[in-house]
Amino acid sequence: MNFFIPLKTPNPDSLKLVKDFSRQPITFTIARVGSSAKCFLGSSDFKVTEADLGAAKFEPKELYAHGSYVTGVALAGKWLVSGAYDGKLTWWDTVANKVVRTLDAHDKWVRKVVASPDGKFVASVADDMACKVWDAATGKLVHDLRGHAEKTPTHFSSMLYAVAYSADGQYLATADKVGHVVVWDAAQGKQIAAVEAPIMYTWDPVQRRHSIGGVRSLAFSPDGNLLAVGGTGKINNIDHLEAKARIEVFDWRSKKQVAEFVTDKSQGLANRLAWAPDGSWLLAAGGAGEGFLAFLDVAGKKVLKQEKVSTHVHDFAITDDATSLVVVGHNKVISYKLG
Amino acid sequence: MRPNFFCGSSDHSLSRRAFLGAAAVGAAAFADMTQLSALAAPEPAKDLKKSQKRVILLWLAGGASQLETWDPKPGAATGGPFRAIPTDVPGTHICELMPEMAKRMKTTCVIRGLNTKNGDHGSAAKLMMRGRRDEASVKYPDLGAVLAREMGRVDSKVPDYVTFYSQTEGRNMAPGDSGFLGARFAPMELTTTNTPEFIKKLDGIDELDHQQRADLRELLSKQFAHGRQSNTLASHGEAYERVRGIMASESLFDIRKEPQKVRDRYGPTQFGEQALIARRLVEAGVPFVRVARAWWDSHGQNFETHQEMVPELDRIMATLIDDLKERGLSDDVMVITLAEFGRTPAINSSLGRDHFASAWSMTMTGGKAKGGAVWGKSDPKGNTVVDQEVNPANLFATIYKALGLNPHKSYSVGARPVPLVDPGAEPILQVIG
Repeated sequence: MNFFIPLKTPNPDSLKLVKDFSRQPITFTIARVGSSAKCFLGSSDFKVTEADLGAAKFEPKELYAHGSYVTGVALAGKWLVSGAYDGKLTWWDTVANKVVRTLDAHDKWVRKVVASPDGKFVASVADDMACKVWDAATGKLVHDLRGHAEKTPTHFSSMLYAVAYSADGQYLATADKVGHVVVWDAAQGKQIAAVEAPIMYTWDPVQRRHSIGGVRSLAFSPDGNLLAVGGTGKINNIDHLEAKARIEVFDWRSKKQVAEFVTDKSQGLANRLAWAPDGSWLLAAGGAGEGFLAFLDVAGKKVLKQEKVSTHVHDFAITDDATSLVVVGHNKVISYKLG
Repeated sequence: MRPNFFCGSSDHSLSRRAFLGAAAVGAAAFADMTQLSALAAPEPAKDLKKSQKRVILLWLAGGASQLETWDPKPGAATGGPFRAIPTDVPGTHICELMPEMAKRMKTTCVIRGLNTKNGDHGSAAKLMMRGRRDEASVKYPDLGAVLAREMGRVDSKVPDYVTFYSQTEGRNMAPGDSGFLGARFAPMELTTTNTPEFIKKLDGIDELDHQQRADLRELLSKQFAHGRQSNTLASHGEAYERVRGIMASESLFDIRKEPQKVRDRYGPTQFGEQALIARRLVEAGVPFVRVARAWWDSHGQNFETHQEMVPELDRIMATLIDDLKERGLSDDVMVITLAEFGRTPAINSSLGRDHFASAWSMTMTGGKAKGGAVWGKSDPKGNTVVDQEVNPANLFATIYKALGLNPHKSYSVGARPVPLVDPGAEPILQVIG
């Protein structure tokens, strides 16, 4: 089992761009092998690729393809599990270098795939509003978690965007379009709490009569007591992602919001969240027309650092010691170092 | 007894109609009539009026994406995440967001080759509601006004042109506009409610009082008309009859009069309710109903927007087609989906698509539109039309022809003959059955 062990954390001010790779497809998801230069990417070309960030020439190698955008890749031990808008999950054996299993996992788009910290389980969320927990080694369905309404209050299909494990693997959180966030007992598959972040969902009843937004990212604090929720603020003109990115932090057991952040320099969605190893800061990334990184001091309720990124960031991988960060997004893969 | 000074020819109906409208809408319409002779055009659409062709236009305001509806490009870099699914027409695929329409493409003609060269919401909306650009000296009527003019019945007790546009975005860019046809053919516009606000009987007048007032008016009119022969007098009486008819049509807007199972088929959304009202209206003889569904302008989050809105369109369009068929109205009622433009194949960094008028799509179902036909072909990425390109004038010529109307007929605006579509524009006969 992994337990929370505070590590020395680099200062956000030390953030420095290392490499900026251009790539034609939109990269939605990344899984990195430890702190090595090897990573796996899922993209708009429907492909799962393997990339070497340290190579002289950045040339991701195709491993296999899905039937639509690949939006989740997660490493669970030797297994790479990918999920896509085709509703499928595919297991790739990273040692034998072959596909070992593809499952019709969900009825609708798979939005995200994460691995439990011990690598024994993989959780996927999809627009069928199910969070499914899988045995990473066998692909057997362990839990089918249903805690999110299929329809929005205005009778349109909802979407289940986000999922995250706590660092000890005890809890699992899921979040949907209308801002409903559920915390589950990961082992029992039981709902144990729920919090709401309704500001992240905008339904425009008058001007345009549709919606935008939703909770796009989740992250438990290292001690598991706080849950960070990322998305965007209320949007006036929902033709565009014109609101500032928004992050709310909850003491999820008491259902109390303990902090909220609105990135004053960056518009769009907070697509990815991660805490510093010692919990001293929370990193949010996302974007709209362009991207951002924002380091947030949750305890002090202040923004430590905001950095513009030349791509709308859809995901990032950060090493356990937080000294290396790789962001992926619209036509770009960019690596940074910290400390 | 009603004075009879009409010979029965529908030719006279035009001038009578003109007066009816003028009486109903006031002095403005009189001005229209005195300034142009459009309403005295020599070519009454006798056949049309017999067959009572009607149109429901589903106006996808803001510009729905052709790639997420009728012209998917699965696997292309521009194609987006949605799959293409086969339809009941062999070889024709549409976006997976439209499974209900995929089962009904034999009913529907798709035009995939629209190149309308205008990516500005306002002017493009006007263009695609008229099929042409206004001139400095000629304000053209839109599709609804033309069809109200051509297909409305003289003795109709229902409105000729009704438009729903409940969302505020884009509403002022494409208001119903009768152009040189004048106020007689201007639409009844519903924006804030699904029921017309100004046709209700005053609350302080009960039905008996209302009827007695009408009887008194008729008695006085007859007394006045005694010994007189005048078209004006007759038309005056007709105008009152028409107003009373329109007042009585209020119930057509009340979907509570539909069985619950019918309402359930259309669904609980505002668009569904308005589509059901549109069916009730055309069934009662209203020639043209536009149901605007705004707002599709997905510069950000295009796929989320279309995932939300296209299934609603799919359900409503399929239900409308089925409902019309079950009521024996398929041949006489055409359902059109149209917008001001489509959306760019290129996907921007907000995962949006922008304005695009170079290769987009629309549909026609019913009337003489050939079900199952696909006209126009875009390139593999959807950037250009590579075959069977269609411009707005061709499209409107096709719509008119598919409704049995001669697209080359002319109105007279003053001394100037004004053809229904731009000169030289021919209908696409291959999509007309």
